[in-house]
Amino acid sequence: MLTLICAVLLGAAPPVLAGDPATADRVVTTTADYTVPNIRLVRDDGTTVSLAEEMNDGRAVVLNFIFTTCSSFCPLSSQTFAQFQRKLGADRGRVHLMSISIDPEQDTPARLREYAHKYHAGPGWQHYTGTLEASRAAQRAFGAYQGDKMSHAPLTLVRSADGKSWRRIEGFVTPDELLSEYHQALASK
Amino acid sequence: MTSYLTRHRLRVLCAWLLTVLVTVPAAAQPAAPLPGESIYRAGVLPSGQSLTAIRESDMRIEGAAAACVNCHRRSGLGELDGRIDIPPIDGPYLFHPRVLDRHDFNLPLVEAMRLDREPYTDSTLARAIREGIAADGRPLSYLMPHYALGDSDMAALIGYLKGLTPTGSPGVTPDALHFATIITPDADPVKRRGMLDVLEQYFAEQNAISQRESPPLESAHRAHLNPPHRWLLHVWQLSGPAATWDGQLRQFWAQQPVLAAISGLGGKDWKPIHRFCEQSALPCLFPNVELPTVAESDFYSVYFSRGILLEADLIARQLTAAGQEAMPRRIVQIFRPTDIGQPAARALRATAPDLRIVDRALGEGAAGPQLSMMLRDLETRDLLVLWLRPEDLRSLAKLPAVKSRVVISGLMGGLGDAPLPPAWRSATQMAYPFDLPDRRRVRMDYPLGWFRLRQIPLVAEQVQADTWVACSALSETLSHMGGALIPDYLVERMEGMLERRILTAYYPRLSLAPNQRFASKGGYLVRFAGATGSRLVAASDWIVP
Repeated sequence: MLTLICAVLLGAAPPVLAGDPATADRVVTTTADYTVPNIRLVRDDGTTVSLAEEMNDGRAVVLNFIFTTCSSFCPLSSQTFAQFQRKLGADRGRVHLMSISIDPEQDTPARLREYAHKYHAGPGWQHYTGTLEASRAAQRAFGAYQGDKMSHAPLTLVRSADGKSWRRIEGFVTPDELLSEYHQALASK
Repeated sequence: MTSYLTRHRLRVLCAWLLTVLVTVPAAAQPAAPLPGESIYRAGVLPSGQSLTAIRESDMRIEGAAAACVNCHRRSGLGELDGRIDIPPIDGPYLFHPRVLDRHDFNLPLVEAMRLDREPYTDSTLARAIREGIAADGRPLSYLMPHYALGDSDMAALIGYLKGLTPTGSPGVTPDALHFATIITPDADPVKRRGMLDVLEQYFAEQNAISQRESPPLESAHRAHLNPPHRWLLHVWQLSGPAATWDGQLRQFWAQQPVLAAISGLGGKDWKPIHRFCEQSALPCLFPNVELPTVAESDFYSVYFSRGILLEADLIARQLTAAGQEAMPRRIVQIFRPTDIGQPAARALRATAPDLRIVDRALGEGAAGPQLSMMLRDLETRDLLVLWLRPEDLRSLAKLPAVKSRVVISGLMGGLGDAPLPPAWRSATQMAYPFDLPDRRRVRMDYPLGWFRLRQIPLVAEQVQADTWVACSALSETLSHMGGALIPDYLVERMEGMLERRILTAYYPRLSLAPNQRFASKGGYLVRFAGATGSRLVAASDWIVP
């Protein structure tokens, strides 16, 4: 619980890390620990799964929150994921990209599949829906809950392995920056 | 002092000119989209090729995904998207001189606008669109793509942006906002009276409040930008066959254009009204219809739910969830082909293609003798689905209860008031596209109290509560439009704000978004409980098909 509170606090006022001045106003990266909640989500293939099991299968995890009728920046986040997945090259099988819908009542598995197809999601990239409560629990657990879907903000989370800390990237991360975050996370593994 | 007055008069004159000039193009609707409009809305260049753009990190987008409308929206007024400002790009904003004081700003104050920026010129605007550099030389947000546009395409796009304006809606006059409510001739007369009671009362109170309010503290030259507080309701009562409704709506529209159609009541066919609203760019907000038009890429109509089509999906989903063992041997659906049961039956058939489904249509005249024949062969493992109105359900009283399970339509059957004979209640479930009576009680306290205090007879609770929600959502949305009273922005703001409503009456939650036109997505299967079978309780979880 304490970890969760810390994580939420960190999320609310993230310290700006010194970095490339060109990215400083666009991206804020912090390190945080989150407790993966014990919830069940529905994967885009229609299977009901445990969030923890999906996250702790040995692969690194790159996570974001989207909704399919978001026309402004979710498309950019999803395009970034797509390009990042391509750039992973031989490492592609070692990274699990996860996109959780923050509008789960609209985003049925069929709509998520259509969305994934639009962004040429490869086999290691899954989209998740579920009940409204489950989606909110997932958002809360990662300090991503903003109250309603129209108040969301771009957020990407990277973790090299189960038990490791998360890198929390707020703002518009580029595919190359994401790749470098992933490599850094691996290096610290 | 003289110089101040002259300046002041000039400002008033400019403001007046702006209002007059921007009103003219809105009256003349172009038949085909202008080249600039295709670029803006569809990402299609006049040549027919796709619009293309890249972002800093070499990510390429094209076609509809690159269209300006995705972020800046149809109105061009942008939005505050989470923590990201998407500024208005309507011509008057782009070219407005820099101001330090908002009172010197001659346009509606929309959320994400900037006052302290150099005005764009055609050439700095082209640079912004191509290179992502603002008028003052600073880089624009990473979100803004860099577009590959030739000179003539750029001119077409800029021409289009110049024509986008935040004022000049047909239903906005200096002293009032005009609204319509559209009623089809076959609408239920009891629901009609109940809905009109709520609408008329809401409008009367809105106007009573506006009379009491002191004038807003705005400087004189911004006075013309203050939206009128008075609301006028026009009842567009249609008559005759559906084929003539479009002509009637056009006549109403010609007599008195309106900013939006609010609430309204339909019967069997709402398509002509949906189509009229789409073609006339008229927001049609939350009509009371049991069979709405499903076209989520259309813009102007928003509905509470998919109504009876949602009911069909709830039934199908409940069957699937129960598993193969509980699957009925056969589904028998009974409906009157002259009512909305037929499309509902078709929707259920479409969701369950592997099941054996038998449709039985009631002919004209009394249902009793016909039902007696139709129910004769029903067995325990069948499922009977009744898409019937109260008068037909009543006729079941003379018939023995069937051995099979039964599901009735909540919307058609009268929800909690469905006159299902007591002997039928224990085996019957009802498709119920609302929150459970017990769970919505707190959410209903306010509207019910509102009706009671105003002595509005409660004759059709759900329709009246929905009408009240529609009115209060409209009022809330209008107060967040910063005076930019144009139809497109009204719909966009409604999309953005609806989810924040707490008083959603019959629905657990309401939520919209671009290409999302049904605010409540799920429902229950309920059963009749209690000694007399008069209490509705859940027979399923909240199902979102």
